[in-house]
Amino acid sequence: MTAEIIDRLQITAAIEREGEPVLRLDGVNIRNQITGKDVVRGISFTLKKGKVVGIVGESGSGKTLTCRAVLGILPELFSVSGGTIDLLGHDVLSLEPKQWTQLRGTSITAVFQDPGSYLNPSMKVGAQIAEVIRTKRGVTRQEAKQRTLELLADVRLRDPELVYGQYPFELSGGMLQRVLIAAAISLGPKILIADEVTTALDVTVQAEVLDLLADLKERHGLSLIVVSHDLAVVAQICDEVLVLRDGEVVERGATAEVLRRPKHGYTRLLIGEHHLYGLERFLDAKPTTPKPRLVDSRPILIRAEGVCVSYDSSTSRRQALKDATFVLRQGESIGVIGETGSGKSTLARALIGLVTPGAGQISIAGEDITGFSAARWRDFRKRGIIQYVFQDPLRSLDPEVTIADTLAEPLLLQGMLSKSEIRDRIYFRLDQVRLQPNLLNRFPGELSGGQRQRIAVARALVTEPKVLILDEPVSALDSANRVQILEILNSLRANGTSLMFISHDLGSVAGVTERVMVLYRGSIVETAATDDVVNRPGHLYTRLLVGSGPTVTSIGSIDRRSRQALREQLEAAS
Amino acid sequence: MASIHTERETLAYGGASAGLSSRWAVARSTLALAFRSIIVFVTVFFLATLLTFALQGLSGLSPAHLQLSESATPEAIAALEHEWGLDLPLWQQYLNWFGGIVQGDLGRSWYNGADISLLLTSRAAISLSIAGLALLIGVTLGAVLGITAAKFQTTWIDRAITTFTTFVSVLPPFVVGIGLVAIFAVWLNWFPSAGYVPLDRGGLGPWLSHIWLPSLALSMEAVADIARQLRVGLIQASRENYVTGALVRGLSSERIFWGHVLRNGSGPALTMLGMKFPNLIGGAVVTEAVFGLAGYGRFAADSASRGDVPAVQGVLVLAIVLVVAFNLLVNLLLVRLSPASARGI
Amino acid sequence: MLRGIWQLPAGKLSVLFLSVIILLAIFGPALAPYDPLVGTDHVLAHPSAQHWLGTDYLGRDVLSRILAGSTISVLGSVQVAVIALFVGAIPGILSVYLGRTFEWLTLRLVDTLIALPFLVFAVAVTALLGNGIPQAMLVVGVMVSPAFYRVARAAALTISRSQYVEAAILSGASIGWIVRKHVWAKILPAIAITLANTMGTGFVVVSSLTFLGIGVQPPAPTWGGVLASDLGYLNFRPYAPLFTTVLIVLTVLAFNLLADVIRDVSGESGRALLIRREKKRGRTARQTSATIPPTPHGDPQ
Repeated sequence: MTAEIIDRLQITAAIEREGEPVLRLDGVNIRNQITGKDVVRGISFTLKKGKVVGIVGESGSGKTLTCRAVLGILPELFSVSGGTIDLLGHDVLSLEPKQWTQLRGTSITAVFQDPGSYLNPSMKVGAQIAEVIRTKRGVTRQEAKQRTLELLADVRLRDPELVYGQYPFELSGGMLQRVLIAAAISLGPKILIADEVTTALDVTVQAEVLDLLADLKERHGLSLIVVSHDLAVVAQICDEVLVLRDGEVVERGATAEVLRRPKHGYTRLLIGEHHLYGLERFLDAKPTTPKPRLVDSRPILIRAEGVCVSYDSSTSRRQALKDATFVLRQGESIGVIGETGSGKSTLARALIGLVTPGAGQISIAGEDITGFSAARWRDFRKRGIIQYVFQDPLRSLDPEVTIADTLAEPLLLQGMLSKSEIRDRIYFRLDQVRLQPNLLNRFPGELSGGQRQRIAVARALVTEPKVLILDEPVSALDSANRVQILEILNSLRANGTSLMFISHDLGSVAGVTERVMVLYRGSIVETAATDDVVNRPGHLYTRLLVGSGPTVTSIGSIDRRSRQALREQLEAAS
Repeated sequence: MASIHTERETLAYGGASAGLSSRWAVARSTLALAFRSIIVFVTVFFLATLLTFALQGLSGLSPAHLQLSESATPEAIAALEHEWGLDLPLWQQYLNWFGGIVQGDLGRSWYNGADISLLLTSRAAISLSIAGLALLIGVTLGAVLGITAAKFQTTWIDRAITTFTTFVSVLPPFVVGIGLVAIFAVWLNWFPSAGYVPLDRGGLGPWLSHIWLPSLALSMEAVADIARQLRVGLIQASRENYVTGALVRGLSSERIFWGHVLRNGSGPALTMLGMKFPNLIGGAVVTEAVFGLAGYGRFAADSASRGDVPAVQGVLVLAIVLVVAFNLLVNLLLVRLSPASARGI
Repeated sequence: MLRGIWQLPAGKLSVLFLSVIILLAIFGPALAPYDPLVGTDHVLAHPSAQHWLGTDYLGRDVLSRILAGSTISVLGSVQVAVIALFVGAIPGILSVYLGRTFEWLTLRLVDTLIALPFLVFAVAVTALLGNGIPQAMLVVGVMVSPAFYRVARAAALTISRSQYVEAAILSGASIGWIVRKHVWAKILPAIAITLANTMGTGFVVVSSLTFLGIGVQPPAPTWGGVLASDLGYLNFRPYAPLFTTVLIVLTVLAFNLLADVIRDVSGESGRALLIRREKKRGRTARQTSATIPPTPHGDPQ
């Protein structure tokens, strides 16, 4: 007994010294019990005190499974079939549930994507954090509450007292993530795993969260594991990077090294995508003088003037869109950028008639659609001039209807073509989105996410629309599918279709648009050519946006202090 | 990957950063919710009593059928009806009757002119003892089975409990009653097969032994339903992300189960309890027939076959009041358990 | 869906059993060996070669009474289900499309119906409005209709708020088109399940009412009535309730089992289940025509 204790003490002392390994994985294999196959093979890495390791990979690469193995929460179907995991001197694979309960929270912890779902929806968030402190540290309720308030202030929440008494559904995504981080560090763990924590957040909020993590690391001496599918996010704060593909580590090394001199083809692919379709495309380019304004003589397809939309709920009235004025010309491709609540979705919905503006005028293809009745909307929509692609490919396709019927629906509603003409049209568009005709008899549930989104695009194209509005079309997809869709969109541009690309991610937008509108809190704050917006941002918000965007190069991204300054200026101004 | 833009998030973002005004908004919405619930319950009570009142009009019966002979003259009938206030316009009759109900006066029986409220009091004691005990058995046994099945999910214990509850839930209550009588009363002779002994007359022992079998019979359906809903609710709750979140923060599985999962997962079971409570009240009709008890179920059946409309209405009103009161309680509990759903967001 | 039900063993079992019961209901009275109304001197006899299930307290052949009584029980449960379906499902779907007031009103009506203890109400109405099972079934049908209302409304709500419906609207679809192409097929399984469950409930209610002696004139044979008389003479023939009880329980079980089977084979998971079973048997999955281009269907399948 005594020998064990001495051993433990020695190990702990060793760990307290800077740079000592706190976590070591050696040749870890994780097996899927049902198929019997090892889905993760031979993962090894060492995490040292005060350092940050990043794990990059697509969905299915095994990054989340690895994290779960380290935490001891692998799903029932999976188990570690080989290798060792050493956590602060403990052999993870031989731990009993009681020991795990002791280790978690105090030594190692995690935060995940979709933070709201990781909190009990029927308890106030403050109480949930206090509960952990109370039960594990044995302090009084008062002391636990005090400590919780300190933590909430630590994660830079503006009004800790208020947030303490709120329920998860009352908080935004960014605030929830901070609450979760506060909960995670409440017991002073040595290791924090951040699994895709920024994926569902707006770019500016994303930068805030990453800044916060970096700050906490320095102040508390935390060791971090940051997991993401986006190499750029990892590049922001990690000292070392591991690239995972299909369950294996294909590349590892210091972040700067891996980014500058990638050895594996896959890594090069990931970096290349950023240069093709990300901010880097504009940032890398040699600085040019702003192009002289040419007179655009293309016919106007959409004209909006002074459009205002407000949402009235039982408790408040909220101005979602204020005085929106812009034009979209034939063949033009325009991006609409903004964060959650900026009004960009509202703008799109106003254009297609899903919400009625309180003021202003909108005309599409020369027809004034303001104040259309339901019946007139139906007639107008049947003409198929303007079409819409939803964000979520799973929900926008009827699961009980075959792909063929889904694609045919808009044409059947039009009622103008014969069956064989419809068939030809479908085949053509299917080919345009690079899918095979054998998918026609299948149901959406049998297709992958990328395929489904391409079907959604094809459906929007069957009526040969002049304008295609896409609301976050690639946000729910992983890298490979994202690139495919963006390429398809570019080919559509080449064929003369006008695009309106709505997103919170300037990176994807930059890849397919020639002009960008920036929305902030319901107003259009800047409209300029994409190149100008990226390289010479004017408005405060645009500058913050571009400066927050994670990139794989060091150009363009501004440092933490500048970001903080910009945020404060923005708050003061509005 | 998660969808990024939800209306909810947007509204919440705007609300949370508004500080003090958000507190006020929350208070207002709670008040609004309470107000709306009360309106709903009042409306339901109103509609239910209206339907009950309509029975009289639809039946075309009158006290004359009970009190006068076949050869009564039209004048005699009219005089009798006038005495009972039945020649007043319908809406006035309804209001008078409703006014009486609110004060606790259920009218007088057409059969013998007795005060219905009085008639029901003694009978209600019997029926409600049984219903009360049945509720207790239902909730306790149902909870025990449901929690056990959820904790031992997919093992033979779970399957045994699930088979049992499926089987029991399809049994008509009188079948269960007959079975219990046959086994425990006739064959084993452990309990009496009929009759009732009030608490004050014989003490706890005899009282319990008489109501034990009928309560058990009545409770079976509730036991099965609660057990099933609780099991489903608990299993679903235990699969939610917040369980992982709590686990990762260092809370023990036991604490998570009893403090978080149970609280969140019992919502469906509670809702089901509120919905099935009327069955518990109404099942008295059958159990009292099987076990020979003189409760309000028997009273309703007898009055119905006699054509004594006010008496039947009286029983129905009593049942309605009980159900509405119970559902109010259940609603309050639900709000406490999951405030998010209650705020209508 | 029908094909799917037949493929699962539980489905086959319940369908077969229920078919037997339905046949009993139709041909029962004709098959009875003795006249169910006529008493003999062999009172409370035990089962024998002459009387397979013995006789009751009036000397009537129990088997004949059960065979003859099957009609009322089965007809009653079908009646309840059909009435509940129409009274419940139609307002349920409409409540989603006809505006806030209609919605609120129907919701409150449903709350009221649920609050009323339906057995007491059924007893009251039947007795007061003239003894008769059809009247009773009408009342019970209305009182259990909330189940259909809820199911139809929930389905219509989910569907009308879904994005694929929004996508159809954006292509110019009318409400009629949406209901036909997207809502109808999805509601069917839920309604079928509720239908099966309601028939089970209706069966129990008929048995309960006839057990109490409500709704039928004394000499007429019913399953509940047979049980009631068995109860009264339990000391003489303690095994007596067994036959009727088993019959009632099995019928109700069969209805509920059918409901579960329908639930298992419908929707996407149902399709997956059936495909897995076909694969296990070595048959190939549904053919996808790569050579013959499909013709898009213009009408709902």
